[in-house]
Amino acid sequence: MNALRRDLSVAIAIARKDALSELRGRQAAGSTIFFAAIVLLLFGFALGPDSRRLAEAAPGLLWLAIVFGGLLTMARLHQLEADDGAFEQLALYPVDRRAIYAGKALAGAAAMLVLGGLLLPVVAILYAIPVGAAWLPLLAAVVLGAIGFAAIGTAYAGLTVRMRAREVMLPLLMLPIVAPLLLAAVKATVAALGGDPLGELGSWLQLLVAFDVIMLVVGAGTYGFLLED
Amino acid sequence: MTDAGFVIAAYGVILGGIALYAALLARRLRNAREASGRSDDADSPR
Amino acid sequence: MKTRILGFVALFAVIGAAINGLFVVPADLNQGDAQRVMYVHVASAWLAYASFGVTAIAGLVYLIRRDVRLDALALAGAEVGVMFTAFAIWGGMMWGRPVWGVYWQWEDPRLTTTALLLALYVGYLLLRRLTDDPARRAGRAAVVGLIAAVDIPIVHFSVIWWRGLHQGPTIGDPSKILNPSAPLQFVLALLAMLAAFTLVWVYLLIRRYQLARLEWQLEDEARRGRVAAARQVAVPSGVEEPAG
Repeated sequence: MNALRRDLSVAIAIARKDALSELRGRQAAGSTIFFAAIVLLLFGFALGPDSRRLAEAAPGLLWLAIVFGGLLTMARLHQLEADDGAFEQLALYPVDRRAIYAGKALAGAAAMLVLGGLLLPVVAILYAIPVGAAWLPLLAAVVLGAIGFAAIGTAYAGLTVRMRAREVMLPLLMLPIVAPLLLAAVKATVAALGGDPLGELGSWLQLLVAFDVIMLVVGAGTYGFLLED
Repeated sequence: MTDAGFVIAAYGVILGGIALYAALLARRLRNAREASGRSDDADSPR
Repeated sequence: MKTRILGFVALFAVIGAAINGLFVVPADLNQGDAQRVMYVHVASAWLAYASFGVTAIAGLVYLIRRDVRLDALALAGAEVGVMFTAFAIWGGMMWGRPVWGVYWQWEDPRLTTTALLLALYVGYLLLRRLTDDPARRAGRAAVVGLIAAVDIPIVHFSVIWWRGLHQGPTIGDPSKILNPSAPLQFVLALLAMLAAFTLVWVYLLIRRYQLARLEWQLEDEARRGRVAAARQVAVPSGVEEPAG
Protein backbone atom coordinates (compact mmCIF):
# COMPACT_ATOMS: atom_id res chain seq x y z
CA MET A 1 0.00 0.00 0.00
CA ASN A 2 2.88 2.29 0.82
CA ALA A 3 4.44 1.53 -2.52
CA LEU A 4 1.21 2.48 -4.25
CA ARG A 5 1.03 5.74 -2.37
CA ARG A 6 4.62 6.52 -3.22
CA ASP A 7 4.09 5.75 -6.89
CA LEU A 8 0.99 7.90 -6.91
CA SER A 9 2.83 10.82 -5.38
CA VAL A 10 5.61 10.42 -7.93
CA ALA A 11 3.10 10.45 -10.75
CA ILE A 12 1.35 13.52 -9.40
CA ALA A 13 4.66 15.27 -8.80
CA ILE A 14 5.69 14.70 -12.38
CA ALA A 15 2.34 15.82 -13.70
CA ARG A 16 2.47 18.96 -11.57
CA LYS A 17 5.98 19.74 -12.75
CA ASP A 18 4.89 19.43 -16.36
CA ALA A 19 1.80 21.51 -15.77
CA LEU A 20 3.87 24.23 -14.13
CA SER A 21 6.40 24.32 -16.94
CA GLU A 22 3.51 24.49 -19.41
CA LEU A 23 2.04 27.45 -17.59
CA ARG A 24 5.36 29.20 -17.14
CA GLY A 25 6.59 28.61 -20.67
CA ARG A 26 3.33 30.09 -21.77
CA GLN A 27 4.48 31.02 -25.21
CA ALA A 28 5.06 27.41 -26.20
CA ALA A 29 1.69 26.08 -25.13
CA GLY A 30 -0.10 29.14 -26.43
CA SER A 31 1.74 28.96 -29.73
CA THR A 32 0.62 25.41 -30.23
CA ILE A 33 -2.99 26.27 -29.56
CA PHE A 34 -2.73 29.20 -31.92
CA PHE A 35 -1.16 26.97 -34.54
CA ALA A 36 -4.07 24.56 -34.29
CA ALA A 37 -6.51 27.44 -34.64
CA ILE A 38 -4.71 28.62 -37.76
CA VAL A 39 -4.93 25.10 -39.13
CA LEU A 40 -8.68 25.27 -38.62
CA LEU A 41 -8.75 28.56 -40.44
CA LEU A 42 -6.75 27.15 -43.30
CA PHE A 43 -9.12 24.24 -43.63
CA GLY A 44 -11.77 26.83 -44.32
CA PHE A 45 -9.76 28.19 -47.21
CA ALA A 46 -9.05 24.72 -48.50
CA LEU A 47 -12.60 23.39 -48.37
CA GLY A 48 -14.75 26.49 -48.45
CA PRO A 49 -16.45 28.78 -49.06
CA ASP A 50 -19.62 26.70 -49.18
CA SER A 51 -20.70 26.84 -45.55
CA ARG A 52 -22.82 23.72 -45.78
CA ARG A 53 -19.87 21.66 -46.92
CA LEU A 54 -17.74 23.15 -44.15
CA ALA A 55 -20.38 22.43 -41.54
CA GLU A 56 -20.48 18.81 -42.63
CA ALA A 57 -16.71 18.57 -42.53
CA ALA A 58 -16.37 20.44 -39.25
CA PRO A 59 -16.10 17.47 -36.85
CA GLY A 60 -13.36 15.91 -38.96
CA LEU A 61 -11.52 19.20 -39.23
CA LEU A 62 -11.77 19.80 -35.51
CA TRP A 63 -10.16 16.49 -34.72
CA LEU A 64 -7.49 16.88 -37.36
CA ALA A 65 -6.55 20.20 -35.78
CA ILE A 66 -6.49 18.53 -32.36
CA VAL A 67 -4.24 15.77 -33.71
CA PHE A 68 -1.80 18.18 -35.36
CA GLY A 69 -1.68 20.40 -32.32
CA GLY A 70 -1.41 17.31 -30.17
CA LEU A 71 1.71 16.16 -31.97
CA LEU A 72 3.42 19.42 -31.11
CA THR A 73 2.13 19.25 -27.57
CA MET A 74 3.40 15.76 -26.85
CA ALA A 75 6.79 16.56 -28.35
CA ARG A 76 7.06 19.69 -26.26
CA LEU A 77 6.23 17.86 -23.04
CA HIS A 78 9.20 15.61 -23.54
CA GLN A 79 11.58 18.14 -25.02
CA LEU A 80 12.55 19.60 -21.70
CA GLU A 81 13.71 16.31 -20.24
CA ALA A 82 15.47 15.39 -23.42
CA ASP A 83 17.42 18.63 -23.56
CA ASP A 84 18.49 18.42 -19.94
CA GLY A 85 19.39 14.76 -20.08
CA ALA A 86 16.79 14.19 -17.42
CA PHE A 87 15.60 10.96 -18.98
CA GLU A 88 18.79 9.25 -18.01
CA GLN A 89 18.44 10.55 -14.46
CA LEU A 90 14.82 9.48 -14.27
CA ALA A 91 15.89 6.03 -15.30
CA LEU A 92 18.20 5.86 -12.29
CA TYR A 93 15.47 6.58 -9.76
CA PRO A 94 14.27 3.44 -7.97
CA VAL A 95 10.67 4.25 -8.77
CA ASP A 96 8.15 2.24 -10.72
CA ARG A 97 8.41 3.20 -14.39
CA ARG A 98 4.68 3.10 -14.64
CA ALA A 99 4.42 5.91 -12.14
CA ILE A 100 6.64 8.09 -14.31
CA TYR A 101 4.54 7.15 -17.31
CA ALA A 102 1.34 7.91 -15.44
CA GLY A 103 2.57 11.35 -14.51
CA LYS A 104 3.64 12.24 -18.02
CA ALA A 105 0.46 10.81 -19.53
CA LEU A 106 -1.64 12.76 -17.05
CA ALA A 107 0.10 15.97 -17.99
CA GLY A 108 -0.29 15.11 -21.65
CA ALA A 109 -3.99 14.41 -21.30
CA ALA A 110 -4.51 17.67 -19.47
CA ALA A 111 -2.68 19.60 -22.17
CA MET A 112 -4.71 17.85 -24.88
CA LEU A 113 -7.90 18.61 -23.00
CA VAL A 114 -7.04 22.28 -22.90
CA LEU A 115 -6.23 22.19 -26.59
CA GLY A 116 -9.47 20.47 -27.51
CA GLY A 117 -11.53 22.61 -25.22
CA LEU A 118 -10.18 25.81 -26.71
CA LEU A 119 -10.62 24.61 -30.27
CA LEU A 120 -14.28 23.73 -29.80
CA PRO A 121 -15.49 27.34 -29.74
CA VAL A 122 -13.20 28.17 -32.66
CA VAL A 123 -14.78 25.43 -34.73
CA ALA A 124 -18.24 26.39 -33.55
CA ILE A 125 -17.70 29.94 -34.77
CA LEU A 126 -15.79 29.27 -37.97
CA TYR A 127 -18.07 26.51 -39.19
CA ALA A 128 -21.34 27.59 -37.64
CA ILE A 129 -21.79 24.51 -35.50
CA PRO A 130 -24.54 24.72 -32.91
CA VAL A 131 -22.84 23.11 -29.93
CA GLY A 132 -25.57 23.91 -27.44
CA ALA A 133 -27.31 20.89 -26.05
CA ALA A 134 -24.65 18.48 -27.24
CA TRP A 135 -21.96 19.88 -24.99
CA LEU A 136 -21.87 16.90 -22.63
CA PRO A 137 -21.28 14.10 -25.15
CA LEU A 138 -18.93 16.46 -26.99
CA LEU A 139 -16.96 16.96 -23.82
CA ALA A 140 -16.89 13.20 -23.26
CA ALA A 141 -15.48 12.69 -26.73
CA VAL A 142 -12.82 15.33 -26.18
CA VAL A 143 -11.84 13.92 -22.79
CA LEU A 144 -11.61 10.36 -24.09
CA GLY A 145 -9.75 11.48 -27.18
CA ALA A 146 -7.32 13.48 -25.08
CA ILE A 147 -6.60 10.53 -22.82
CA GLY A 148 -6.04 8.14 -25.72
CA PHE A 149 -3.81 10.54 -27.61
CA ALA A 150 -1.75 11.28 -24.53
CA ALA A 151 -1.52 7.58 -23.66
CA ILE A 152 0.20 6.64 -26.88
CA GLY A 153 1.78 10.06 -27.34
CA THR A 154 3.66 9.83 -24.07
CA ALA A 155 5.24 6.53 -25.07
CA TYR A 156 6.13 7.59 -28.58
CA ALA A 157 7.30 11.06 -27.61
CA GLY A 158 9.59 9.52 -25.04
CA LEU A 159 10.89 7.25 -27.75
CA THR A 160 11.39 9.75 -30.54
CA VAL A 161 12.45 12.88 -28.73
CA ARG A 162 16.09 11.83 -28.59
CA MET A 163 16.20 10.54 -32.14
CA ARG A 164 17.52 11.83 -35.39
CA ALA A 165 14.76 13.32 -37.50
CA ARG A 166 12.60 13.52 -34.39
CA GLU A 167 10.29 16.12 -35.93
CA VAL A 168 9.08 13.64 -38.51
CA MET A 169 9.38 10.43 -36.49
CA LEU A 170 6.76 11.32 -33.91
CA PRO A 171 4.03 12.10 -36.48
CA LEU A 172 5.11 9.17 -38.63
CA LEU A 173 4.67 6.74 -35.77
CA MET A 174 1.66 8.41 -34.13
CA LEU A 175 -0.65 9.06 -37.06
CA PRO A 176 -1.33 5.47 -38.11
CA ILE A 177 -1.80 4.45 -34.49
CA VAL A 178 -4.36 7.15 -33.74
CA ALA A 179 -6.37 6.50 -36.90
CA PRO A 180 -9.03 4.53 -34.98
CA LEU A 181 -9.11 7.19 -32.28
CA LEU A 182 -9.61 9.87 -34.90
CA LEU A 183 -12.29 7.85 -36.62
CA ALA A 184 -14.21 7.15 -33.41
CA ALA A 185 -13.87 10.68 -32.05
CA VAL A 186 -15.18 12.21 -35.27
CA LYS A 187 -18.06 9.77 -35.44
CA ALA A 188 -18.93 10.47 -31.83
CA THR A 189 -18.79 14.21 -32.48
CA VAL A 190 -21.02 13.91 -35.53
CA ALA A 191 -23.49 11.78 -33.59
CA ALA A 192 -23.51 14.19 -30.67
CA LEU A 193 -24.04 17.25 -32.85
CA GLY A 194 -26.78 15.59 -34.85
CA GLY A 195 -28.74 14.40 -31.85
CA ASP A 196 -27.56 10.82 -32.33
CA PRO A 197 -30.27 9.67 -34.78
CA LEU A 198 -28.76 6.23 -35.21
CA GLY A 199 -28.04 5.65 -31.56
CA GLU A 200 -24.39 5.02 -32.27
CA LEU A 201 -22.90 7.61 -29.92
CA GLY A 202 -22.53 5.07 -27.15
CA SER A 203 -20.69 2.59 -29.35
CA TRP A 204 -18.18 5.17 -30.51
CA LEU A 205 -17.53 6.38 -27.00
CA GLN A 206 -17.02 2.77 -25.96
CA LEU A 207 -14.50 2.31 -28.72
CA LEU A 208 -12.67 5.37 -27.44
CA VAL A 209 -12.66 3.92 -23.94
CA ALA A 210 -11.28 0.63 -25.26
CA PHE A 211 -8.57 2.47 -27.17
CA ASP A 212 -7.67 4.48 -24.10
CA VAL A 213 -7.45 1.47 -21.83
CA ILE A 214 -5.40 -0.58 -24.26
CA MET A 215 -2.97 2.24 -24.99
CA LEU A 216 -2.58 3.12 -21.33
CA VAL A 217 -1.76 -0.48 -20.48
CA VAL A 218 0.68 -0.88 -23.35
CA GLY A 219 2.22 2.52 -22.76
CA ALA A 220 2.75 1.90 -19.08
CA GLY A 221 4.14 -1.55 -19.78
CA THR A 222 6.70 -0.41 -22.30
CA TYR A 223 7.71 2.96 -20.87
CA GLY A 224 10.33 1.36 -18.68
CA PHE A 225 12.11 -0.06 -21.72
CA LEU A 226 12.07 3.33 -23.38
CA LEU A 227 13.56 5.06 -20.36
CA GLU A 228 16.42 2.62 -20.14
CA ASP A 229 17.33 3.52 -23.69
CA MET B 1 -7.72 -2.33 -69.74
CA THR B 2 -9.59 -5.59 -69.97
CA ASP B 3 -10.07 -7.78 -66.94
CA ALA B 4 -7.24 -9.98 -68.13
CA GLY B 5 -4.97 -6.98 -68.02
CA PHE B 6 -5.69 -6.42 -64.35
CA VAL B 7 -5.13 -10.09 -63.59
CA ILE B 8 -1.79 -10.03 -65.37
CA ALA B 9 -0.83 -6.82 -63.59
CA ALA B 10 -1.70 -8.39 -60.26
CA TYR B 11 0.15 -11.67 -60.77
CA GLY B 12 3.01 -10.01 -62.56
CA VAL B 13 3.78 -7.47 -59.90
CA ILE B 14 3.24 -9.82 -56.97
CA LEU B 15 5.08 -12.86 -58.27
CA GLY B 16 7.68 -10.74 -59.96
CA GLY B 17 8.13 -8.75 -56.77
CA ILE B 18 8.69 -11.91 -54.78
CA ALA B 19 11.27 -13.07 -57.29
CA LEU B 20 13.01 -9.69 -57.24
CA TYR B 21 13.12 -9.62 -53.46
CA ALA B 22 14.50 -13.15 -53.32
CA ALA B 23 17.19 -12.22 -55.83
CA LEU B 24 18.01 -9.06 -53.90
CA LEU B 25 18.35 -11.03 -50.68
CA ALA B 26 20.60 -13.55 -52.39
CA ARG B 27 22.87 -10.79 -53.62
CA ARG B 28 23.04 -9.04 -50.25
CA LEU B 29 23.75 -12.34 -48.52
CA ARG B 30 26.57 -13.04 -50.93
CA ASN B 31 28.10 -9.63 -50.30
CA ALA B 32 27.75 -9.95 -46.56
CA ARG B 33 29.33 -13.39 -46.53
CA GLU B 34 32.27 -12.14 -48.55
CA ALA B 35 32.69 -9.17 -46.27
CA SER B 36 32.78 -11.29 -43.18
CA GLY B 37 34.96 -13.99 -44.74
CA ARG B 38 32.52 -16.67 -43.84
CA SER B 39 31.39 -19.29 -46.27
CA ASP B 40 28.54 -20.66 -44.22
CA ASP B 41 25.49 -19.17 -42.57
CA ALA B 42 26.10 -16.94 -39.59
CA ASP B 43 24.02 -19.30 -37.56
CA SER B 44 21.25 -21.67 -38.36
CA PRO B 45 17.76 -20.27 -38.04
CA ARG B 46 16.14 -20.98 -34.69
CA MET C 1 21.45 -26.84 -47.97
CA LYS C 2 18.00 -27.28 -46.64
CA THR C 3 16.99 -23.71 -47.22
CA ARG C 4 17.95 -23.88 -50.85
CA ILE C 5 15.79 -26.96 -51.29
CA LEU C 6 12.94 -25.14 -49.59
CA GLY C 7 13.45 -22.30 -52.04
CA PHE C 8 13.07 -24.57 -55.05
CA VAL C 9 10.07 -26.34 -53.61
CA ALA C 10 8.47 -22.98 -52.93
CA LEU C 11 9.24 -21.83 -56.46
CA PHE C 12 7.56 -24.85 -58.03
CA ALA C 13 4.63 -24.59 -55.65
CA VAL C 14 4.03 -20.97 -56.61
CA ILE C 15 4.30 -21.73 -60.31
CA GLY C 16 1.86 -24.57 -59.92
CA ALA C 17 -0.62 -22.57 -57.89
CA ALA C 18 -0.37 -19.66 -60.31
CA ILE C 19 -1.03 -21.86 -63.32
CA ASN C 20 -3.96 -23.36 -61.47
CA GLY C 21 -5.37 -20.00 -60.54
CA LEU C 22 -4.86 -18.43 -63.94
CA PHE C 23 -5.75 -21.21 -66.33
CA VAL C 24 -7.16 -24.31 -64.67
CA VAL C 25 -9.81 -22.88 -62.41
CA PRO C 26 -12.83 -21.42 -64.22
CA ALA C 27 -13.73 -17.76 -64.06
CA ASP C 28 -16.34 -16.60 -61.61
CA LEU C 29 -19.89 -16.19 -62.84
CA ASN C 30 -20.26 -12.67 -61.45
CA GLN C 31 -16.74 -11.30 -61.20
CA GLY C 32 -15.26 -12.94 -64.26
CA ASP C 33 -11.55 -13.30 -64.57
CA ALA C 34 -10.98 -10.65 -61.94
CA GLN C 35 -11.80 -13.30 -59.36
CA ARG C 36 -8.40 -14.86 -60.07
CA VAL C 37 -6.69 -11.90 -58.44
CA MET C 38 -8.24 -12.94 -55.15
CA TYR C 39 -5.94 -15.93 -54.88
CA VAL C 40 -2.77 -13.85 -54.73
CA HIS C 41 -4.47 -10.99 -52.94
CA VAL C 42 -5.80 -13.04 -50.04
CA ALA C 43 -2.63 -15.11 -49.77
CA SER C 44 -0.53 -11.95 -49.63
CA ALA C 45 -2.76 -10.46 -46.96
CA TRP C 46 -2.62 -13.54 -44.75
CA LEU C 47 1.16 -13.66 -44.89
CA ALA C 48 1.37 -9.94 -44.26
CA TYR C 49 -0.49 -10.38 -40.99
CA ALA C 50 1.52 -13.49 -40.14
CA SER C 51 4.73 -11.55 -40.70
CA PHE C 52 3.73 -8.81 -38.34
CA GLY C 53 2.73 -11.39 -35.80
CA VAL C 54 6.28 -12.69 -36.00
CA THR C 55 7.67 -9.18 -35.59
CA ALA C 56 5.48 -8.41 -32.60
CA ILE C 57 6.16 -11.67 -30.79
CA ALA C 58 9.88 -11.68 -31.57
CA GLY C 59 10.07 -8.14 -30.28
CA LEU C 60 8.18 -8.98 -27.14
CA VAL C 61 10.42 -11.94 -26.33
CA TYR C 62 13.43 -9.81 -27.14
CA LEU C 63 12.40 -7.32 -24.47
CA ILE C 64 12.36 -10.20 -22.01
CA ARG C 65 15.37 -12.20 -23.13
CA ARG C 66 17.53 -9.58 -24.88
CA ASP C 67 18.71 -12.13 -27.44
CA VAL C 68 19.75 -10.21 -30.56
CA ARG C 69 18.74 -13.10 -32.76
CA LEU C 70 15.16 -12.30 -31.87
CA ASP C 71 15.66 -8.78 -33.10
CA ALA C 72 16.96 -10.15 -36.39
CA LEU C 73 13.83 -12.23 -36.68
CA ALA C 74 11.66 -9.21 -35.93
CA LEU C 75 13.39 -7.23 -38.65
CA ALA C 76 12.96 -10.07 -41.13
CA GLY C 77 9.28 -10.27 -40.31
CA ALA C 78 8.78 -6.55 -40.75
CA GLU C 79 10.53 -6.28 -44.08
CA VAL C 80 8.88 -9.35 -45.54
CA GLY C 81 5.62 -8.14 -44.06
CA VAL C 82 5.83 -4.71 -45.67
CA MET C 83 6.37 -6.42 -49.01
CA PHE C 84 3.38 -8.71 -48.66
CA THR C 85 1.26 -5.83 -47.39
CA ALA C 86 2.13 -3.79 -50.45
CA PHE C 87 1.23 -6.80 -52.60
CA ALA C 88 -2.06 -7.21 -50.79
CA ILE C 89 -2.97 -3.59 -51.43
CA TRP C 90 -1.89 -3.87 -55.05
CA GLY C 91 -3.96 -7.03 -55.45
CA GLY C 92 -6.91 -5.32 -53.83
CA MET C 93 -6.64 -2.47 -56.31
CA MET C 94 -6.26 -4.78 -59.29
CA TRP C 95 -9.38 -6.60 -58.17
CA GLY C 96 -11.28 -3.49 -57.23
CA ARG C 97 -10.91 -1.64 -60.53
CA PRO C 98 -12.63 -4.25 -62.71
CA VAL C 99 -15.19 -5.30 -60.09
CA TRP C 100 -16.05 -2.04 -58.32
CA GLY C 101 -14.99 0.32 -61.06
CA VAL C 102 -12.62 2.09 -58.69
CA TYR C 103 -9.12 1.38 -57.45
CA TRP C 104 -9.93 2.39 -53.91
CA GLN C 105 -13.04 1.98 -51.83
CA TRP C 106 -13.16 3.65 -48.42
CA GLU C 107 -16.02 1.45 -47.35
CA ASP C 108 -14.00 -1.74 -47.66
CA PRO C 109 -12.68 -2.35 -44.17
CA ARG C 110 -9.89 -4.67 -45.18
CA LEU C 111 -8.41 -2.35 -47.74
CA THR C 112 -8.25 0.53 -45.29
CA THR C 113 -6.93 -1.66 -42.49
CA THR C 114 -4.21 -3.02 -44.77
CA ALA C 115 -3.24 0.51 -45.78
CA LEU C 116 -2.79 1.42 -42.12
CA LEU C 117 -0.81 -1.79 -41.65
CA LEU C 118 1.56 -0.61 -44.34
CA ALA C 119 1.91 2.79 -42.71
CA LEU C 120 2.58 1.25 -39.31
CA TYR C 121 5.34 -1.03 -40.48
CA VAL C 122 7.01 1.38 -42.83
CA GLY C 123 7.28 3.57 -39.75
CA TYR C 124 8.80 0.61 -37.92
CA LEU C 125 11.45 0.14 -40.60
CA LEU C 126 12.24 3.85 -40.71
CA LEU C 127 12.61 3.93 -36.95
CA ARG C 128 15.15 1.14 -37.19
CA ARG C 129 17.02 2.90 -39.94
CA LEU C 130 17.27 6.12 -37.95
CA THR C 131 18.66 4.46 -34.82
CA ASP C 132 22.35 3.71 -34.92
CA ASP C 133 22.99 1.97 -31.64
CA PRO C 134 22.02 -1.70 -32.09
CA ALA C 135 20.74 -2.23 -28.56
CA ARG C 136 18.66 0.92 -28.64
CA ARG C 137 17.39 0.05 -32.08
CA ALA C 138 16.26 -3.39 -31.01
CA GLY C 139 14.53 -2.11 -27.89
CA ARG C 140 12.72 0.75 -29.62
CA ALA C 141 11.72 -1.45 -32.52
CA ALA C 142 10.33 -4.07 -30.17
CA VAL C 143 8.13 -1.49 -28.44
CA VAL C 144 6.89 -0.02 -31.70
CA GLY C 145 6.25 -3.43 -33.21
CA LEU C 146 4.26 -4.42 -30.17
CA ILE C 147 2.17 -1.27 -30.11
CA ALA C 148 1.51 -1.55 -33.84
CA ALA C 149 0.33 -5.14 -33.43
CA VAL C 150 -1.97 -4.14 -30.58
CA ASP C 151 -3.42 -1.34 -32.69
CA ILE C 152 -4.42 -3.58 -35.58
CA PRO C 153 -7.42 -5.25 -33.93
CA ILE C 154 -8.66 -1.83 -32.81
CA VAL C 155 -8.35 -0.56 -36.36
CA HIS C 156 -10.13 -3.65 -37.66
CA PHE C 157 -13.18 -3.18 -35.47
CA SER C 158 -13.35 0.56 -35.80
CA VAL C 159 -13.25 0.40 -39.59
CA ILE C 160 -15.95 -2.25 -39.72
CA TRP C 161 -18.23 -0.16 -37.51
CA TRP C 162 -17.34 2.85 -39.62
CA ARG C 163 -19.02 1.27 -42.59
CA GLY C 164 -22.11 1.21 -40.43
CA LEU C 165 -25.38 0.90 -42.21
CA HIS C 166 -23.84 0.80 -45.66
CA GLN C 167 -23.37 -2.83 -46.40
CA GLY C 168 -20.51 -3.77 -48.66
CA PRO C 169 -21.12 -3.70 -52.38
CA THR C 170 -23.43 -6.63 -53.13
CA ILE C 171 -21.83 -7.50 -56.43
CA GLY C 172 -18.19 -8.07 -55.86
CA ASP C 173 -17.80 -8.70 -52.19
CA PRO C 174 -14.17 -9.66 -51.72
CA SER C 175 -14.97 -11.90 -48.79
CA LYS C 176 -17.17 -14.06 -50.97
CA ILE C 177 -14.30 -16.37 -51.58
CA LEU C 178 -13.95 -17.03 -47.88
CA ASN C 179 -17.59 -17.96 -47.56
CA PRO C 180 -18.15 -21.63 -46.69
CA SER C 181 -20.57 -21.94 -49.58
CA ALA C 182 -18.03 -20.84 -52.17
CA PRO C 183 -17.41 -23.29 -55.02
CA LEU C 184 -14.93 -25.99 -54.02
CA GLN C 185 -12.57 -25.33 -56.91
CA PHE C 186 -12.12 -21.72 -55.86
CA VAL C 187 -11.47 -22.69 -52.27
CA LEU C 188 -8.90 -25.27 -53.30
CA ALA C 189 -7.20 -22.80 -55.61
CA LEU C 190 -6.98 -20.31 -52.77
CA LEU C 191 -5.61 -22.93 -50.39
CA ALA C 192 -3.04 -24.00 -52.96
CA MET C 193 -1.85 -20.43 -53.41
CA LEU C 194 -1.82 -19.93 -49.67
CA ALA C 195 0.31 -23.04 -49.15
CA ALA C 196 2.71 -22.01 -51.90
CA PHE C 197 3.00 -18.48 -50.55
CA THR C 198 3.59 -19.83 -47.07
CA LEU C 199 6.55 -21.84 -48.34
CA VAL C 200 7.88 -18.72 -50.03
CA TRP C 201 7.32 -16.77 -46.84
CA VAL C 202 9.28 -19.19 -44.70
CA TYR C 203 12.10 -19.20 -47.24
CA LEU C 204 12.26 -15.39 -47.39
CA LEU C 205 12.11 -15.11 -43.62
CA ILE C 206 15.03 -17.49 -43.23
CA ARG C 207 17.11 -15.65 -45.80
CA ARG C 208 16.31 -12.22 -44.39
CA TYR C 209 17.08 -13.50 -40.90
CA GLN C 210 20.43 -14.83 -42.02
CA LEU C 211 21.21 -11.54 -43.69
CA ALA C 212 20.25 -9.61 -40.59
CA ARG C 213 22.52 -11.77 -38.42
CA LEU C 214 25.45 -11.32 -40.78
CA GLU C 215 24.96 -7.58 -41.01
CA TRP C 216 24.67 -7.33 -37.24
CA GLN C 217 27.95 -9.17 -36.84
CA LEU C 218 29.64 -6.98 -39.42
CA GLU C 219 28.30 -3.92 -37.66
CA ASP C 220 29.49 -5.26 -34.34
CA GLU C 221 32.97 -5.97 -35.67
CA ALA C 222 33.17 -2.53 -37.20
CA ARG C 223 32.20 -0.99 -33.91
CA ARG C 224 34.77 -2.99 -31.99
CA GLY C 225 37.36 -2.01 -34.56
CA ARG C 226 36.57 1.65 -34.04
CA VAL C 227 36.77 1.25 -30.26
CA ALA C 228 40.12 -0.55 -30.51
CA ALA C 229 41.48 2.10 -32.87
CA ALA C 230 40.37 4.84 -30.54
CA ARG C 231 42.10 3.10 -27.64
CA GLN C 232 45.34 2.95 -29.56
CA VAL C 233 45.20 6.62 -30.37
CA ALA C 234 44.80 7.34 -26.68
CA VAL C 235 47.98 5.46 -25.79
CA PRO C 236 50.93 7.87 -25.28
CA SER C 237 53.46 7.54 -28.08
CA GLY C 238 56.74 5.78 -27.40
CA VAL C 239 55.37 3.74 -24.53
CA GLU C 240 53.70 1.07 -26.63
CA GLU C 241 53.64 0.21 -30.25
CA PRO C 242 50.16 0.03 -31.69
CA ALA C 243 49.42 -3.55 -32.71
CA GLY C 244 49.20 -4.41 -36.43
